[in-house]
Amino acid sequence: MTVSRRCFLQGVGVAAGAVMASPLLSVRASYADTTVPYTGPVMVVLSLRGGFDGLSVVPPIGDPDYAVARPTIAIPASRALSTGDRRFGLHPALAPLKPLWESGQMAAVHAVGTPDLSRSHFQATEELERAAPGTSLRTGWLDRVLRIAGSGTPFQAVQLGDTAPSGLLAGPEPVLAADSLDAFSLSGSSWIGPRFATTLRALHHDVTSPAIAPATITLDALDTVAALVAADRTPKNGAVYPTGGLGDAMADVARLVRGASGLQAVSVDFGDWDMHTDLGAAGDGRMLTHLGEVAQSLAAFAQDLGSLFTNVTVVTLSEFGRRVQENGSGGVDHGHGNVLLALGGGLNGGLVHGTWPGLAADKLDDGDLAGTTDYRDVLVELLVKRQGLSTSAAAGVFPGLNPTAVGLFR
Amino acid sequence: MTGLNTGSAGVETSGMTTTRRRPHAPAWSLVPRVNAVAARHLLSRTTYGATPESLTDVVRMGSLRAWLDRQLTPASIDDTACEAVLARWPLATATAPTVEATVDQGNWDAMQQVVQATLARALWSKRQLFEVMCEFWSNHLNITCPSSEVWSTKSWDDRTVIRQHALGTFEDLLLASSTSPAMLLYLGNAESDGDAPNENYGRELLELHTVGVDAGYTHTDIVNAARVLTGLSVWNRWNGGTPGNQGTLRYRSEWHYVGPVQVMGWSHANGDATQGQAVAESMVRFLARRPETAQRIAAKLAVRFVSDTPPQALVDRLAQVYLAGGTAVVPVLRALFGSAEFTASVGQKQRRPYEDIVGVARSLGISAHPDPTRDLGDLAWTLGQLGQAPLGWGLPDGYPDVAGGWTGAGGTLGRWNTHLGLVGGWWDTGAMVFQKDLPTYLLGASKPTTRGALVDALLARLVPGVAVPAPHRAALIAFLGADGPLGQGDLQWDFEPLVTLVLDMPQGSAR
Repeated sequence: MTVSRRCFLQGVGVAAGAVMASPLLSVRASYADTTVPYTGPVMVVLSLRGGFDGLSVVPPIGDPDYAVARPTIAIPASRALSTGDRRFGLHPALAPLKPLWESGQMAAVHAVGTPDLSRSHFQATEELERAAPGTSLRTGWLDRVLRIAGSGTPFQAVQLGDTAPSGLLAGPEPVLAADSLDAFSLSGSSWIGPRFATTLRALHHDVTSPAIAPATITLDALDTVAALVAADRTPKNGAVYPTGGLGDAMADVARLVRGASGLQAVSVDFGDWDMHTDLGAAGDGRMLTHLGEVAQSLAAFAQDLGSLFTNVTVVTLSEFGRRVQENGSGGVDHGHGNVLLALGGGLNGGLVHGTWPGLAADKLDDGDLAGTTDYRDVLVELLVKRQGLSTSAAAGVFPGLNPTAVGLFR
Repeated sequence: MTGLNTGSAGVETSGMTTTRRRPHAPAWSLVPRVNAVAARHLLSRTTYGATPESLTDVVRMGSLRAWLDRQLTPASIDDTACEAVLARWPLATATAPTVEATVDQGNWDAMQQVVQATLARALWSKRQLFEVMCEFWSNHLNITCPSSEVWSTKSWDDRTVIRQHALGTFEDLLLASSTSPAMLLYLGNAESDGDAPNENYGRELLELHTVGVDAGYTHTDIVNAARVLTGLSVWNRWNGGTPGNQGTLRYRSEWHYVGPVQVMGWSHANGDATQGQAVAESMVRFLARRPETAQRIAAKLAVRFVSDTPPQALVDRLAQVYLAGGTAVVPVLRALFGSAEFTASVGQKQRRPYEDIVGVARSLGISAHPDPTRDLGDLAWTLGQLGQAPLGWGLPDGYPDVAGGWTGAGGTLGRWNTHLGLVGGWWDTGAMVFQKDLPTYLLGASKPTTRGALVDALLARLVPGVAVPAPHRAALIAFLGADGPLGQGDLQWDFEPLVTLVLDMPQGSAR
């Protein structure tokens, strides 16, 4: 990754006029006078923590062993939405996303695996986000992406829904973490007034301290977010987000895509997929509700962004898939191979990619769907085809990986 | 700082194995009066924030060395008030079988209790340096808490590994850790079989716990370390454990790798599967005493207490003390706090979110509610949102201990917002009791009469010993309005924001 790439990604300009007037980070001030709107690619990593059951989400309705393994919770072929591929359907809860599937703005990769076989939430999550098995690296893969290709602005990477650092972004690269954009504000400023922030700024001038740079970034980011929020209060194009944390987060991501300078990567967490019990089938249960919230949120997000959606790539990651065989509680235990969903522009859309290993007993990996596509291969392809990294730079993010084409991205 | 008459933050290094006084060693013990700047420096590094009470303690004891001596023998400090608070978290110190008998399988209560008890001790224990060292070792031998696999075993690790050995020898600490069920579960050793050893613990033992990644070991060393550790496992309800031993150490000779092993110059025939535990002990003791380990521990302590980039000469001296003292921790700390480098390091460390928030709470006189049903869940959660939940770092390597690890805008904003919440006493349902009359607590009964005097009094109280630049003082006054007599709101509605601004100052975030 070269310096010129960094400058290109820098962009800085923003779509919303009101935001243009807000101060930018001082160390990047040399770029602040550009009027070119930032139209670079934005990747949104949606972390589905807890073990997403890919076999319910993109059910292998053409595999005879599927219904056998899951007598009460399999999605019947008659209820699954069509993917255009006889082997697979979509869970009925994904109906809001069906138009995106049809228009080529959504695709899936099935039987995606990770090198980690621990089936422990903790270890599998750590390994998924570190993405450097057998090495001593302590950073997240997204942090390493930003290190070689980051815009360097406070908004290059945003984490929403939780201010505690995500493992994806663990490392030295600056990240703006917030519960929500509206919550990214100075407590008390509403009743104390602007003199509170003014005084804070004054207290962080004329003194040498390691606290100055982060404080300045924070004060600038507060101004930028306040302007962005004020200029962009409601979803566009008639989009309606569902009530709940994910809808709120995706609405904020849309505002950031429209308005934030230098935004390249967004991390959003949406957990509670650990469905050992009551997963449900086509018409009821936890999966229907929870997956429905994902579908409605992402459909609203696409609608909200309109043509800007083509600049965006959303990918889902989860630490592991779930057992093929359902358990005695109407759920599934920790497994391995999984589905990965992708939405946005640049996709070979409307397709289920990957190599289906089958669910026959002799094809399973210790009782689980085998992983035939390494998730890191999907990410390398994303970084190269969508984020503009060179193949060698993208591969370098994942030590020890010899990238293999997946064909998910054009 | 080292002038004879002004005293210094340095502490005489008596009790060390070396008898020769270094030429630059501070001679302040000849003048056993306490220098205020030096006292604050020592307190801000060795405690979770100086308080009026701790400053008074130092003055009363007459010398920094006397204060440090007492802190280094924590059992000599009466801590009954804090212990009374801790009684509400009985599972924080419980054995694994007790935890397993008390809560449901996989329940997180015991781990939450460890977290909250840790936080309570940081806030209210008088054994402050001991608590700081417990935190140091908890990070060095990190076991993410809560994390599901240590639901029943973290309490015992905290008690019998970290707290038992925090001021003992590193060798004993490491040995205890290597047979601690929580560590064996956390790093996957409990299921490690000699046929195909799980290398996780072997790797971390070398890379994180002892010699460090640059020590020149090879992958073969890692594999051999992992082989040596095979068999160290844990009883549970599925492998034949009983209610009396679930979550305790189980040595499984059938899983122990047999055959010659070599790790960094240590070797063993390892021919008898029943003796694997002794082989592991031999290796662990060897690693604890390696010079590379001495360098690493010395460097980490210097980073903790002196600066983000400590002088190598100091690290070398501390490493020598570590080896000469048979890996004993206290002589290293004495040498560290007695060093000229420590004395010269005023203002060179930044508070991380945990130190910052706990320090602010201490400076605001927040005390513990006697009602045992009240807990510190809110504060623990808030610290998690700031990125530093007590014991909560998600990887085996422990929280970053340098300012560069804590520069995110969300964290900075979160600290400022939390300051205002603590000043305003917004969490009055938990175990924290806030001062009812904060102006009187911070300023005394006779209040300043001018805005300049009010700002000066708050600066002296909350960022003591720091020369605050005139523009900063002026900005704080301007927050209230024109300098002059106190206005109506200055001790009322503007008081909490003003105190918060003082706490938000960069001078306040120095440690």
